[in-house]
Amino acid sequence: MTTVAPAMRRRGRLAEGVRRHMITFYAVLALAYLMLPVAIVILFSFNDKNGKFNFVWSGFTLKYWKQAFEVPGLLEAFLRSLRIAVFSSFVATILGTLIALALIRYRYRGRAATNIFIFLPMATPEVVMGSSLLALFLTFKIQTGLTTIVIAHILFIISFVVVTVKARLAGFDRHLEEAAMDLYADEWTTFRKVTLPMIMPGVFAAFLLGFALSFDDFIITNFNSGQVVTFPLYIWGAARVGVPPQVNVFATGLFVIAVGLMGLSIWAQRRRS
Amino acid sequence: MTTPEKGKGLAGVAGEPFAVELRGVTKRFGDVVAVDSLDLTVDENRFFALLGPSGCGKTTTLRMIGGFDEPTEGTIRLHGEDVTGRKPYARPVNTVFQSYALFPHLSIFENVAFGLRRQKVGDADVKRRVGETLELVQLTGMERRRPGQLSGGQQQRIALARALINHPKVLLLDEPLGALDLKLRKEMQIELKRIQNEVGITFIHVTHDQEEAMTMADSIAVMNAGHIERLGTPHEIYEDPQSSFVASFLGSSNLVEAAVVDLARGELAIGTRRVHVIPERVPAGAAQVKIGVRPEKLGVHSPGETTAVNTLMGTIADVSFIGVSTQYLVDTELGTSMAAVQQNTGGRRFSPGEQITLAWAPEHTFVVR
Amino acid sequence: MTDGTATRSAAAASAERRRRRVPYLLLLPGGLWLAFFYILPMLQLAGTSLKSGSFAGGYRFSWEFSNYGAGFSDFSAQFLRSIAYAGLATLITFVIAYPLAYFIAFRGGRYKNLLLVLVIMPFLFPFLLRTLAWKIILADDGFVVDTLKAIGLVSHNGRLLATGTAVVAGIAYNFLPFMTLPLYVSLEKIEPAMVEAAHDLYANPRTAFRKVTFPLSMPGVVAGTLLTLIPAAGDYVNAQLLGTPQQSMIGNVIQSRFLLVLDYPVAAALSFTLMLAILAMIIPYIRFTGTEDLVA
Repeated sequence: MTTVAPAMRRRGRLAEGVRRHMITFYAVLALAYLMLPVAIVILFSFNDKNGKFNFVWSGFTLKYWKQAFEVPGLLEAFLRSLRIAVFSSFVATILGTLIALALIRYRYRGRAATNIFIFLPMATPEVVMGSSLLALFLTFKIQTGLTTIVIAHILFIISFVVVTVKARLAGFDRHLEEAAMDLYADEWTTFRKVTLPMIMPGVFAAFLLGFALSFDDFIITNFNSGQVVTFPLYIWGAARVGVPPQVNVFATGLFVIAVGLMGLSIWAQRRRS
Repeated sequence: MTTPEKGKGLAGVAGEPFAVELRGVTKRFGDVVAVDSLDLTVDENRFFALLGPSGCGKTTTLRMIGGFDEPTEGTIRLHGEDVTGRKPYARPVNTVFQSYALFPHLSIFENVAFGLRRQKVGDADVKRRVGETLELVQLTGMERRRPGQLSGGQQQRIALARALINHPKVLLLDEPLGALDLKLRKEMQIELKRIQNEVGITFIHVTHDQEEAMTMADSIAVMNAGHIERLGTPHEIYEDPQSSFVASFLGSSNLVEAAVVDLARGELAIGTRRVHVIPERVPAGAAQVKIGVRPEKLGVHSPGETTAVNTLMGTIADVSFIGVSTQYLVDTELGTSMAAVQQNTGGRRFSPGEQITLAWAPEHTFVVR
Repeated sequence: MTDGTATRSAAAASAERRRRRVPYLLLLPGGLWLAFFYILPMLQLAGTSLKSGSFAGGYRFSWEFSNYGAGFSDFSAQFLRSIAYAGLATLITFVIAYPLAYFIAFRGGRYKNLLLVLVIMPFLFPFLLRTLAWKIILADDGFVVDTLKAIGLVSHNGRLLATGTAVVAGIAYNFLPFMTLPLYVSLEKIEPAMVEAAHDLYANPRTAFRKVTFPLSMPGVVAGTLLTLIPAAGDYVNAQLLGTPQQSMIGNVIQSRFLLVLDYPVAAALSFTLMLAILAMIIPYIRFTGTEDLVA
């Protein structure tokens, strides 16, 4: 017994150690898998490419960073996507937040139906949503273009906004609103001074999510864009003839700005608390 | 003031209107009757407790006074003024919530100042009054913190300050100490009492903790199933609970079936024995009642060593030593068990199996139907 | 006094009615948007799928159910491939994401937020560029193919690009964060004390995982698989960029029928069938796993 026990214990500890490190190893591998294409996109913005396609590494250059704005149509498409994303997400955030408020704050007939109604668009594949909108526009002879893109984007963002804001509202203490009313705030003041500031982080997160979804949407947009070219549509069109490295420059630049803003907000949060 | 004006409530002591007056107040949620045609008046400058088990309607009653729920029927008056149907922000009452409901996005200063800001009080006044109120709850210097950075006890005091700063005519407290640990709760009980004395406004305090209610309140309403079972001072309702519900909800008691023998002399029969109670405590017209005695009012004696009016024979079944006192479980001659608590002040101690006599005084006996 | 009570209760009743209207007013703008641009288009899609005619001569509504038969018999291969690829990709995603989410939730410590940022970081790059990057990674003379050739997993003149493997890998990659985040959320909620309680009650680590951790993470599993499977089933970008027409999925067919061939009725029939197939899959799945409140 006395000789077996330590050996067994050691083996148990070894197994435990292997398991412990195995999951760490696995997680690192999974993260590397996630990061690899991102690294490639960044790296190939510095690629001194040979020929049309930017697929083979052939030396470092800053050329494409310096000539970032010199590809015809790219900057326009990029800015157009930014504008569409800001506007669509803004409208969808308002519409979705109102729905989320109704769902969380009120018990009304048809709540369950509302929930299903909100879930359905998220359960709809993008091709179906894009093609059904196209079917609508074709039937009513509506010219596809900027307006139809925005209509489609607002539509598919709403559900995500509802879910995001709802998650934030779910932990909301109803007594906070009662306390405000008890302290002489009428319904509107209560909403402005208590409810809104409390849900604001959720609303803001929903707006950012909506922005990202809209900015990056290709499939639905492709059905309803008409002659209008967004950033993803530009990449799609360019993919056949060779994507200019400037696209990678734009993507990297946007990424750096996003990470910078994220870092700034974390830093601001740390400083406040 | 002798003839009540139209729309005015009845007058309380010294001709002043009641601080709070509920008349025929009923609250139904669907089929559930939470509060059942309740009549209740609370005098000016009282510490009033609404005591009862969960679901008895005490919180609903409080919420109707605060304006968070509207009564299905009945009227609510504050200082004679009918406030039924008015929104919470149009009532001269403030509330301390069980969860405190401090606004997490505002500083302590802005939390306390919230009500004043809504009433458009000038900045200088706000500053002065917040300072004074924080001093009252002994939390000066916390102005710039956020609620999340405060301990539970501190949050409780801020919730109190946030309500009191508005000088409400009535302060409503919904289980305000429920979330605190025992030691802090004891401290806050004394603290709340001090603050009530200092500010001199009516406190209505909802609690399920009978000890808390008795420690703090001048008068207590014990609620059960939507109505008030007993109303009185802590002493009155403890010594003469008048119903078995109140008797068992406030402390423990030994209840025994008894038959009324002589109403005028307060003579009752339990088994073959005669016992005496204060005649006024026997409900008129009742033949069969229960009598109750608190465990600490029961004396445990060796047989024949007592001259008390009321006695019962019994055998010690179990003894528990609790430190300040000893608790006996006695199998009585009636075939029932009774609990008796004796202070450990040097008297004789008994062991299981010993024959003893239980003795008590008529004034320590209460009668319930 | 009775008059006062009567007017008051009338005022209270009208206030109550107004209060009851509030949730519907809140729902109205967003609800209208969804009705006009989700429900109505779905009806139009169903309507279009029953039209007959030609693009040049115009399409007319004629209860043309044969569009469904024609669509399915012509493109059953793409349909089945979509389901197979999406299913396989979802499985791969799950196998990669679960340990990753578990690691972040239970071993992440103070790096939890950083790790989460790393998981969503690929989202900050355009979907199409990420997919094109796989074209570089899986290139015929790239190091991945070279390595796999060296260890014999890919034959000497074999390739990865333009194969089903590449398409599935691309889909699995693109939807990995959709799987990881819901899994993380539900794993994060599990109190360590629950797992400790399982150990205390004689469960070894494996049993504790099987009986406690995994069942508690079920809402995340359902949400993650749905969030991956649904877009994967309709995706055509990965098949287009990483595959060849031999790997084309139903999404490719729908988009080319709609945008290039202009055969709207069959395209609509295929699209509507895909929607119904998705619903037919997910409703029993949600019922079976008992996570209906996922919807609510």
